[in-house]
Order: sequence, then C-alpha cells, then structure tokens
Amino acid sequence: MYAPRKSRPIARPALAAALACWLSGVAAAQQAPARPVEVMHWLTSGGESAALSVIRDAFLARGGAWRDAPVPGGSGARSAAINRILGGKPPAVFLFSLGSQLDELAGHGLVATVPGDTAAWDAVLPPMVAKASKHQGRYVAAPLAIHGENWMFFNPAVLREAGVEVPRTWPEFVEAGRKIKAAGKVPIALGGQPWQERILFNAVLLGVGGREFYLKVYGQLDPAAIQSDTMLEVFRIVSELRGFVDEGSPGRRWNQATAMLMRGQAAFQFMGDWAKGDITAAGLEPGREIGCAFAPAEETAYIMVVDAWAYTNSDDPGTRAGQRLFTEVAMDPAVQAALNQRKGSIPVRTDVAPDGFDACARHAMEVIRDPATHLVSTGLFGLPGGVSGAIDDAISQFWNDGRLTPEQGRALFRDSVLAFQ
Amino acid sequence: MTETCPPRRRWRLPQGAAPAIALVPAALITLVCFYLFIGWTFAISLTDSRLLPNWEFIGLEQYRRLFASSRWWTALENLGLYAVLFIGGCTLLGYLLAILIDRGVRAEGVYRTIFMLPLSMSFVVTGIIWQWMLNPGLGIQQAVRGLGFEEFAFNWLVRADRAIFTVALAGIWQQVGLCMALFLAGLRGIDPNIWKAARVDGIPTWRVYLDIVTPMLKATFFTSTILLFSLAVKSFDLVVALTGGGPGFSSDLPARFVMEHILTRQELGLGAAGAFVMLCTIAAVVAPYLYLQNRRGAA
Repeated sequence: MYAPRKSRPIARPALAAALACWLSGVAAAQQAPARPVEVMHWLTSGGESAALSVIRDAFLARGGAWRDAPVPGGSGARSAAINRILGGKPPAVFLFSLGSQLDELAGHGLVATVPGDTAAWDAVLPPMVAKASKHQGRYVAAPLAIHGENWMFFNPAVLREAGVEVPRTWPEFVEAGRKIKAAGKVPIALGGQPWQERILFNAVLLGVGGREFYLKVYGQLDPAAIQSDTMLEVFRIVSELRGFVDEGSPGRRWNQATAMLMRGQAAFQFMGDWAKGDITAAGLEPGREIGCAFAPAEETAYIMVVDAWAYTNSDDPGTRAGQRLFTEVAMDPAVQAALNQRKGSIPVRTDVAPDGFDACARHAMEVIRDPATHLVSTGLFGLPGGVSGAIDDAISQFWNDGRLTPEQGRALFRDSVLAFQ
Repeated sequence: MTETCPPRRRWRLPQGAAPAIALVPAALITLVCFYLFIGWTFAISLTDSRLLPNWEFIGLEQYRRLFASSRWWTALENLGLYAVLFIGGCTLLGYLLAILIDRGVRAEGVYRTIFMLPLSMSFVVTGIIWQWMLNPGLGIQQAVRGLGFEEFAFNWLVRADRAIFTVALAGIWQQVGLCMALFLAGLRGIDPNIWKAARVDGIPTWRVYLDIVTPMLKATFFTSTILLFSLAVKSFDLVVALTGGGPGFSSDLPARFVMEHILTRQELGLGAAGAFVMLCTIAAVVAPYLYLQNRRGAA
C-alpha cells in the first residue's frame, strides 16, 4: 500500500518554479522570503503556549511567516504529524519526542536533516541529548527544552506539621511517609496512570540503584542488573510506597495530584518539572510555598525528557529558507532562556546563563554542569516502543496489584522485557 | 413510480438482475473495506512492521510475542468476562423490563423513554458519568457515607480485581434500553389468541412467559445476542472513558490493546496480530451460532 519515499516533488508549472527561484534569489540578498512555515505542535496549555510565543515572536521579528498547526495532546500531535507526512502534505516543522520513533522516521527518509548550521551544537548540547537528536551522525531534530523527570515536589507546611525533614534517601522517605500518614495527610499525591507510576518507579530505581544501575537497566536492558538484588530492593521500596497513596489515585491526572499538594492534602508529588507551570499559575512560587528537590537518591542525577523540532523534506526554496530561520531562532540562546523560563524547563544549551530562572531550574542547571549526572527517560534511550511500553505495563501491574511480592515484581519486569525484545 | 412507466418496453432485464446490479456497489465496498483490509491486516501481522508498514516477513513471531504478553491475556480474560456479563445482563434485564411494560403499566411511554434515553448517549459520555458516580471520593460511596454509613465501601472502580465489573455495569446501563425495545416489539407481535387460550387452560402467567412466549421469541434473542456481542467485542470508548484500562491494565480489553500498540507504541505488526486474533475469536463464537440458526431455519 505504502512505500517509503522522499517527499513528493511539487507539481507546479514551470512559471511558478521560476518565480520562486527569482524570489529566493532576490530575497537571499536581504533576508528569507516570507513563505509561511507550518509548525505543528502540542504546546497548547498556558505555560506552553507562552513558551511557544517566544519562538513565534522572534521568528516573525526576523521576517519569517508562521502558520500555526496546534494539535492538543502529545500522542495525538505525533500521530497527526506522521499521517500528514505519509499523506504527502507534511508540515514544514513539527514537534516530536526524541527516541526510537523519530529514528524510524529518519531511517525511512521521512524527516530531513536539520537545515542550517549545526556544527556548534555538539559543544553546547548535553552529549546524551545530542546523541538522541542524531540519526547516523547527522542532526535530525533541534531539541526544544530539557525537562527533568525525577523531581520531588513537597508542601513544606504539611512536612512541618508532621514533624519531618525533606528525606534524602528512600528508607528516610518511608519513615517520613509513615509519620505523615499518622498525621492524617496523604504522603504521596499520585495520579494512577501508567506513565506517572513509571516516574515514581524510576525515581526509586535511580535512588536505590544509582546512576550506573539505571543506565544498565534502561540503556542496555542488562539481564544481570534486572535480576540483581538491587532490583529486588527497588521493588521492595516501591511496595512500601503503595500504602502512601489515597484511594482516589487510579486514573487521576497529574495536575489534580499537584492540586492536592497545593491544597495541603498531600505532602509529596513525584513529577516532572512541568508541574511548576501549574504551581505558578496557582499563584505560588516553586521553591518557596511548594518546595522542590530531586527525588531521594544516593547519587545526584537528572533524568532528562526532551521534545524536539523535526523538519520534513521540501523542494521549495522558500520553505527551506523558513526552516533554516526557524532553526536559527529556536536555538538562539536568548530565545532558549526566555522560552524555558516560561515552560518550567531548562535550556537545551548548556551555555545559557541561569539568571531569571526559578530556584528549582537554577539548581538543575547547576547540577547538569557535571555530565556524569546526565540520564534520560526510558524513551530517549531509543528502546523500541513495544519494550518501553511493556516496562510501563510491568511497573503498573506491580503497583496496582497489592498481592504481588517484590520477588514476583522483579520476575514480572524481567519477563515483560524479555518477551518484547 | 411504476405507474408512469411507458406501457411498451424495448428491453427487459433478466429476472433478478436489477437487484443484483443494485447490490454491486455495496458488495464492492464490503469486498474492499472489509475483506481486502482483513487480508492486509493479516499480511502485516506476519511482518516486523513497527511505526510504518514494511514487508519483511517473520512468520508467526508477532503471534508468539502477543501470547507471551501477560497484558494480552488479561485483556482476553476481561473480554470473556465482560461479554458474558454484558450480554447476560442486558438480555435478562431488558427482557424483564419489556415484560413489565407489556403487562400494561400506567404511563408506559414515560418508562420507555427513561429506559431508552441512555441509548442516545455515546459510550464516552456514559463512561464519564459512571466514572464520577463510582469515584470513591465523589460518587456513590461518598454519598452513602455522608448519610452516616461510615463503613460503606463501593470502590470497585479503583480495585484492580473489580474494575472490569464497573465497565460491564455501565455498558448494561446504556444498552438495556435497546434490548427492552427489541423484546417489547417481539412481545407485541405475539398472537393475543395464545394468551386467551392460556387463560382458558388456567396456566399461570409466569409459565406462559417461560414455556410459551420465550421459545417463540427465539429470533429476537438471536438478534439481540448478535448485536450485543458485536458491541462487546468492539468496546473501546467505554473502557477508555471509564477506567482508562486501569488500575494498571486490569480492565484492559483487546480493542484497546490493539489501538494502543498500533498508535502509541509503534508496534503495527503486533497490533495487527492482536486484531486478527480478535477476528478469529469472533468467528469462533459466531460461526457455530449462525450455522445452527441456518440449519434450524432450513429444517
């Protein structure tokens, strides 16, 4: 039915082609011609669209023409982009997640090499992000922002009431959780959806096992690590945490859980730093009224989640010029700083000054100066979707079925990973 | 408007040709949209397609992976349980309601409307309504506790071993009106002389329903079962809206498994294999039933 191919050559009369050539020839002398660049994205929530408008305004100011194509919801937007590409009407630029899906698109020649000058990127991007943005050594995506997944947000007032300190290790956390529960509060505000349960699980995995272990499990799917005693300890801690969530958890959305934290019903939430957007929107300041710290761990590390701009092939010089301008704008240090301050994330460029960021983001920017702290979320390791999905399933099943022992949890994890390889 | 046709015709279509020609477009659509794509899905399920279709055949490997996945088995078990509860519940309850209305309640129209109303809603709306009702912190449980029964617990929605029952409950609530309408039509079609004869013979009403009317409604039962079965197998929106397949994947159904693997997990081959197994399951259940019906019809 479908055969992979480069984007369809544009069937236009020769006159129009000549006109376009002439236009681009004239325009090259001054600036890019105002050929609209269609940008497909899912940045529709308050903080997100504010962040996007930073890019858009800068893009317009430099003479670009922008055609907005928002699709709410990440997975919906990704499917829509793929469908448009396969249907022969690709958007010029689209937001995508780094990982195996992008790699497969690049492998079929459906996304273009990033237009413009990318020579300097190797020096400024965190190496793991740079690696995930490349296909066969060439950049196929321009990273947008670095979000961190292993954050622990907490309500300091609730902690004070229960008489506990911010825990630094998982055994300390279990201790603190018991006290908070005894004080009549919910220790962990959790939205019971598989991806949120995975964030909690991965925080424990990193905290108990350390950076090396995390890399072995998710980077290499190392059978020895998956069957180790460390893994058993991870599942043991996670099983302790089951009692720390309230009954209404299953199916709850992450921002409802954040609201529990802000209302003082719950003490902790393990969530990516996009939660800061909701905290700020509620008129609270992250780092003050709602505290932020890395999830308890022996070794400091930052689990990065990165979305990126990808480009489709085009024979039209105007579109190509627009794409080049877009890249230039999106990676501009000033734009990066402004947009990430609004989005709650940190810049993908490590050479952006931390001025103007909130306390949590400044801390993260400080931490990732040391490349040893760089880790990425499961998808970014390039695991096939089926495998990372099976890992989610195993974690979720263990979390929701209280009868499963840590030994069974470890076996479940191993079996689902092996079955899907 | 056959009256306006000219009296003399130059040529006539052979007997039966006109209906056959009229059926050609429908047959073509069926052929292409159903059978061709069934074939395509089966072919894809034999390849290692991930995000995009490709044609590297790997035999039955996708089926091996499918049946090695505990989630798929959970989905299949859930479908069995859900189908039995849903079809059984709708049929029983719908028949009972139809009988009650048929016995000549006052304001029959009001009841009919009430029971038929849920049918006008989509499964998504039904799912959301029941999600609120069954939410332990908002719905029925909280309301009863508010009345003073502090120990009352109805938290099936968030219990991994009970969530699928809530899906069946919501499904029955929505579709029971359809069954009621079907059975009511059937009951109204029963010859009143049968009732008179039964009354003359002094047979109690419930015996008439059980031994005389029910066997006469065999065709109605058949129709409603087939309708409900197809609804049960393709159930996707209800479970997505009500439980999201959760907690974990404890209330997952095969249709949701297939959709998720094709659309978000870039496992086209695996999803296609799942879809094909679903088709085989339906065929395995419906084919003998159809066969029996046809044979009885012919006899």
